[in-house]
Amino acid sequence: MKLHEKILTHYLSCTSPVDKEGYLYKKKERNATYQRRWFVLKANLLFYQERPADRHLLGVIVLERCAVRRAESDAQFAFSLVFGPGLKTYRFAAVDRQTQESWVKALLSASHCYLSLLVRDLGRQYEEAKQQQGSGESCSSVTALKPSTYSFLFTAQGPTTAAVVREGRSHSASTVLQAPSIPTKVVAKKSPKLWPRRNAYVTPLNGPAPLYGEWPLVGFDPLEDFRKLHDYYGQEVKKAREEWLRSRQAEEERSDEDLIDLG
Amino acid sequence: MRFNEKELVSLSRQPSEMAAELGMRGPKKGDVVKKRLVKLVVNFLFYFRTDEEEPIGALLLEQCRVEREDSQTFSIAFLDEAERKYLFECDSEEQCGEWVDSIIKASYEFMRKNLIFYRTEIHRLTGKDPLEQYGISDETRFQVSNGLQLMSRDTSSL
Repeated sequence: MKLHEKILTHYLSCTSPVDKEGYLYKKKERNATYQRRWFVLKANLLFYQERPADRHLLGVIVLERCAVRRAESDAQFAFSLVFGPGLKTYRFAAVDRQTQESWVKALLSASHCYLSLLVRDLGRQYEEAKQQQGSGESCSSVTALKPSTYSFLFTAQGPTTAAVVREGRSHSASTVLQAPSIPTKVVAKKSPKLWPRRNAYVTPLNGPAPLYGEWPLVGFDPLEDFRKLHDYYGQEVKKAREEWLRSRQAEEERSDEDLIDLG
Repeated sequence: MRFNEKELVSLSRQPSEMAAELGMRGPKKGDVVKKRLVKLVVNFLFYFRTDEEEPIGALLLEQCRVEREDSQTFSIAFLDEAERKYLFECDSEEQCGEWVDSIIKASYEFMRKNLIFYRTEIHRLTGKDPLEQYGISDETRFQVSNGLQLMSRDTSSL
């Protein structure tokens, strides 16, 4: 497959700023030695060359569908980019902990998929924030879903309804963002309306690549428990919301009925 | 320049909302229109010969200019070479419009600008930085004044 290199090098040298650069040691695949290279991270592309002043680029790594892992088995301050079964693992080593952490962090948030999810989430937060700033009446009917219900579900200490709604969504978004390498898994859990409508001309070449299960992510995932908690409660909330909307119509006929039946 | 070809080919096989057979013409004089399966995945435009599994090529959709040439044709110009364009012929006006829109929105730089806009606005409206909860407020790539801010240089080489 031809990668039009000039387009990449042109993008690298254009005015938009670089996201991170510095020396790292890169492990050669063949003889397992480490070579010092100058790396430049821009968007979802990791370029490398011998020295910063060099005009000749040695290579580029496209950072999509890879996991970032700390790996200290063969070198200190080492980390790797794992693309999965049958695909490459790139191994790197930094000179100190700070450099290692800094690169790991930058690489974790580098993919297009990650940015896409983040933009989507922030877009929603923005709409919510605008609504609350604007007319209070319109938002209250949707977001004011019985504060008592939310208190019950989240066992939070007196949060406002709006904050809880945002918190709930943030949790789901952050769990999504904690697992940037498994976007297909996330799609299954999200409400359909949050994703773009399908194009009529979709002709996927192949089915999705087989999911190779969960890769251990960098460090620990502090939101692991929240993820499970939120998924469980998220379904209850969704159910409660639907029933509330249905019963709102029924309310006109039978005003005495309970607004929410949590079953 | 080396690149992770196998991984990029694997990426090209991911399901995409924008994948269709279009008439594609290269930018050089003498290039003719050929039927290609064109597929948009993240910020890459892959193009395949029909029924082939591996793409012929991959075009990075950054620093490029997408334009409508006529009702059913759009073009992409790279390298600031306004006259050297790739041309794509669609089946309908609607399809053409969808492609132009999708390609523009697929650019990483476009998404980054949106992110910075939302971040700034949310902070203005709520007083909170929405990136704090994800622990990424300090990442250079999400900075509001990215072009003006001094990036902390890696000093490990010194």
